[in-house]
Amino acid sequence: MNGNDETRALVTLRVHRFTPRAERNRSRSGSPFAKQSSPFGSSSARRPRGKQWVQDYELSVLPDTTILDCLLTIKRTQDPSLAFRYSCGHGMCGSDAVAVNGTPTLLCTAKVKDWATPDRQAAIDDDGFRKTASADDASPAPVQGGNSLGVIELAALPGFPVQRDLIADIDPMLEQIKRLKPYLQASGKLATTKDGNVDVFEYLQQPEQLAAYETLSNCIACGVCEGSCPVFAGGEAFIGPAALITASRFINDSRDTAADARMDAIDTADGIAACQSVRACSRQCPRGIDVGEEIWQLIAKVKERQ
Amino acid sequence: MSPKHVEQMYDALIVGAGAAGLSAALGLLRSERITAMIQSGTTPKILVISKLQPLRSHTGSAEGGIAASLGNVAKDDWHWHYYDTVKGGDWLVDQDAAQLLAQEAPATVINLERSGVAFSRTADGHIAQRKFGGHTAQFGQQPVPRAAYAADRIGHQILHTLWQQCVAQGVEFAEEWYVTDLVLNEHRTQVQGVVAYDTHTGTVHALHAHNVLLATGGAGRLFHTTSNSWDLTGDGMALALEAGLQLEDSEFVQFHPTGLAHTGILISEAARAEGGVLRNSDGEAFMQRYAPEHADLAARDVVSRSIMAEIDAGRGVPDPKDPQGPHDCVWLDMTGIDPDHMHAVLPQVVETIKEYAGIDPTKQAVPVKPTAHYTMGGIPITTDGEVYTWVDGERRPVAGLYAAGECSCVSVHGANRLGGNSLLDACLFGNRAGAALASRIADTMGTDDTVTVHSTTDDETTGASPSDDAVAAAAKARRNELQTLLTAGGEADDRADAESTPQQPATKDDNAYQLLADLGAAMERALAVRCDSASIDAALQLVDGEFATRARALHTHSDAPAFNQEITAIWEVRHMLELARTVLCASDARHESRGSLKRTDYPERDDEHYLAHSMTSRDGAVQWQPVHIVDMPPQRRDY
Repeated sequence: MNGNDETRALVTLRVHRFTPRAERNRSRSGSPFAKQSSPFGSSSARRPRGKQWVQDYELSVLPDTTILDCLLTIKRTQDPSLAFRYSCGHGMCGSDAVAVNGTPTLLCTAKVKDWATPDRQAAIDDDGFRKTASADDASPAPVQGGNSLGVIELAALPGFPVQRDLIADIDPMLEQIKRLKPYLQASGKLATTKDGNVDVFEYLQQPEQLAAYETLSNCIACGVCEGSCPVFAGGEAFIGPAALITASRFINDSRDTAADARMDAIDTADGIAACQSVRACSRQCPRGIDVGEEIWQLIAKVKERQ
Repeated sequence: MSPKHVEQMYDALIVGAGAAGLSAALGLLRSERITAMIQSGTTPKILVISKLQPLRSHTGSAEGGIAASLGNVAKDDWHWHYYDTVKGGDWLVDQDAAQLLAQEAPATVINLERSGVAFSRTADGHIAQRKFGGHTAQFGQQPVPRAAYAADRIGHQILHTLWQQCVAQGVEFAEEWYVTDLVLNEHRTQVQGVVAYDTHTGTVHALHAHNVLLATGGAGRLFHTTSNSWDLTGDGMALALEAGLQLEDSEFVQFHPTGLAHTGILISEAARAEGGVLRNSDGEAFMQRYAPEHADLAARDVVSRSIMAEIDAGRGVPDPKDPQGPHDCVWLDMTGIDPDHMHAVLPQVVETIKEYAGIDPTKQAVPVKPTAHYTMGGIPITTDGEVYTWVDGERRPVAGLYAAGECSCVSVHGANRLGGNSLLDACLFGNRAGAALASRIADTMGTDDTVTVHSTTDDETTGASPSDDAVAAAAKARRNELQTLLTAGGEADDRADAESTPQQPATKDDNAYQLLADLGAAMERALAVRCDSASIDAALQLVDGEFATRARALHTHSDAPAFNQEITAIWEVRHMLELARTVLCASDARHESRGSLKRTDYPERDDEHYLAHSMTSRDGAVQWQPVHIVDMPPQRRDY
C-alpha cells in the first residue's frame, strides 16, 4: 500500500463460478411419469444443478503474492460473494486445494508470479477449442500492456462434485480413508521389567522405524493427489491415492499389528489394482510426499506376500 | 459430513473439533461407565459440531511441542513444571489447576503416543524432548528439555491422531455447521441446547441437549497481525457472553515475538532455541539488554515487549517487501546457525520463511514483529471443565455446560502462557471435561431411560410445550434474521445473474470482510503488546460507534443460501465485536501491568489490588475472583 507501486502489476483471476439452485422440496413420491434415472450410473443425479459462469477479477499485486491473498482481497474489495475454502493460510490445514490453470494445488502456496500466463482467451474459439498449429501459439503475443502479469484460471478441485464456486465436495475422499480403518491398532501391551513392574509406558520405536512412515504421516488430506489422478473419479471405484497413503502409513508403523488385514483391504480391483502408476499424484503434493512411488512400494509389498 | 438426521435430544453436543473438542469426545467415549453403557446396548447420543472439517482445525498448525516432565532426555520433575507454569503466568495462575496440569502431563503425552502420534524419538526409542522458553529444572535454575515433539509438526500429528481415534469410536460429526446461539434456561443455571447453521444447505437447526461442551479455540483474528487461522474468531467466548455468562482474564492476549512480517505467520520459538538472535536497525542483539540471563529465550511477553520498545525508540526496520512502509519490524538473525543443522531441525521454519518472505534464512536476516497468538483468558471453568459464573463471591455452575481448550480459562496460563502448555491444556483438560460429561450422562441415564425423547426429559430442562422451548425460539429468531441478511441487499437477485455484467462488482457498500479488517487494525492500535487508557478508549468508541452501526447494516451480496460464506462471516464479525468490547473493558479495568498486559499508564504489577481474575460480563461490568494460591506465594518474575 505504501509506495513500492513500481513493483506492482496487474493480474486477472479468471474464476469458474457456480451457484447451486436452491433446494426445492421435491416430492419424491411424485408422478409415475417422472423421468426415470439413467440405467448407466448416477452421474446426472449427483451433479448439482445451478448456474455456471466464468468471471474475471483484475487486481494490482506484488508478483509474489499468494493466490489466496488475491482472493481474500477480492472478497473484501470487489465481490464478497465469491466462495472458496481457506483457513490457516500457510499450507498446513489442507482446506484450499483448487485447480490453478487446471493443476490441483493449494491457493495459499501458489504465487501469482508462478502461475500467471499471457491471456490467450482470444485464441480460443466460441466452442472452447484452442486453435492448434497457429503461429500465435508458438509465441504468444503480449495481450496486455507491459505492467500486466496476465491471467490465472481458477476452478474447483477436479475429480469431485462442485458445491459452490471453488468449493468441492471432498467427503468421498474422507469416506474412502475411513473405510480403511485409519487408526493405530497396537498390541496394547505395556513393557515390563524382569520383576514384572511396568517399566516403559509409551510404545518404543527406534528413529529408523519412525523414518519408515514419518513422511506418510504428514499427509494433510487436501485432495491434491486425488484431483491429479486420471483414474480417480470422486469416490466411485478407485479408492484413490490419499486413502492408499493412509493405509501405507499404518502398514509401515512398527507399532501397528494389523498390517495383514490392511493389505487385504487394499488388494482389490478398486484398490491397488486400479492404480495405473501414472504418478501425476506426486507432482504437486504440498507435503512433499512422493505419492506415486509410495503406492508403487505398497503394491510391491502386497504382492510380495503371495 | 452432516448427520443423517437430527436427534430430538442429544446427551452431549461438542462444539469444536480441534485438540480440545476431540479429546473431550474421546474422554467421554473411552470412560468406563460409557463403555459399559454402550456394551449393554445403550448408546448415548453425541454430536460433534464444527465450523470446519475437523482435520482443518488450527491445532494442526502447532509446531514446537507438548510439555510433560517425562524426563526422557534429562532428569525432570513435575514440581518443576508446576513452578515454571505459575511463574510464567506471572502468578495469576490457579495453582490447584497448574498442579493438575503438571502432574497429569506425562500420562496425557503417553496416551497420545499410544493413540498413534508419530513422536520424534530418542536413540533408544523413547519420546524425544527439546528445550522451550521458560521450562527449567530445579525451580528456574537451567533450561530442561521438556517439550515432546514431532519434528516441528506436533499439532498436525496430534490433530490427525485424535481424529483417527474418533473415527475408530464412530463419532458423529456435523461439519461446516456454525453455532449461532447457546441457549440456557431463564436463570442461567442449566444448558438447554444450541442453534446451529448448516452452511451446506443454509438450514438453521434447533439442537436440544442435556449437555453442551464448547471447544471453539481462540480469538487471534481480533488483531490484524496474527498467527491464527482465519477461523479463530472467538465464537465460543462470544456465545457465552451473549448467553449472559462471563469471561475470565480476557485482557490477557499473548503476542508471540516472532511473526513473519506482515503475514503474522509464526516463526517457531525453536528458531531462537537453535541459535537465532533478534537485532535492531543498528544490528545490536538487543535482548542482552532486556533479559541478561535468558536473552532471546526469555518468556514470550518479555521478548515481545522488548521488540516493541526498540520499535518505539525508532530502532525498528521496515519489511523489505515494503521499504517505504512503517519501521515496525526487527531482524531475526539465523545466519549463525549451521545451514545443515538448520535444515535438519527446522525444516518447516525454513520452508515458511522461503515461501512467504522470499528469504534464505541461512544467508539473510528475517523481518519479524509480534503477532497475536493465544488468548490466555476465556470461559471460566473448574478443573472438570464445568462452566460457572462468579456471583456474590462464589462460583455458580451452569449445569450441563462445559468448556475446554483455548476458548476456556481453567487458569493454568494466568497472565502469560508458556510454550508447549497449550496443546497440553487442550488435550488434558479436554479429556477431563469429557470424563466429567460421561459421569453426568451415566448418572442421568440410570435414573431415566427415556431421556432421548424430548417431551419427557427433566421437566426443569426443557419443559414440554413448544411455546416455552427456548431453543426452538432462538432458532426461529435466527431463521428470520437469516432471511433479512439474504434479502436486505435488495439488488442481490440481479447480482446473482452477474454473468452479463461481471465487471461491475459491488465495491461501494460494506461487507463483513472489510469490517473484520478494520476491527483488526483498531484492536492492534489499541492493545497490541502495550496499551493505556487513551488507546483503550479510542478503540471502545469505534467498537460501540462506527463498527456497531456497520455490523447492524451488514447483508449478503448473494441471496443463494447454500455455501454462502458471507452469512457465517457476518455472524462471526458480530461475535467479534461483542468479544472485542469485553477484552477492552477488562483491559481498562486492570490498573497494573502483568504478564502479557502492559499498561504504560500503570507500568508495575500490583499484587495488593489485582492478584485476581477479572470476570467480565457483556455489559462491561468487571468482578474480581481471587487467585487460588496453594503453595507458591507471588515472587518477582525475572528472566
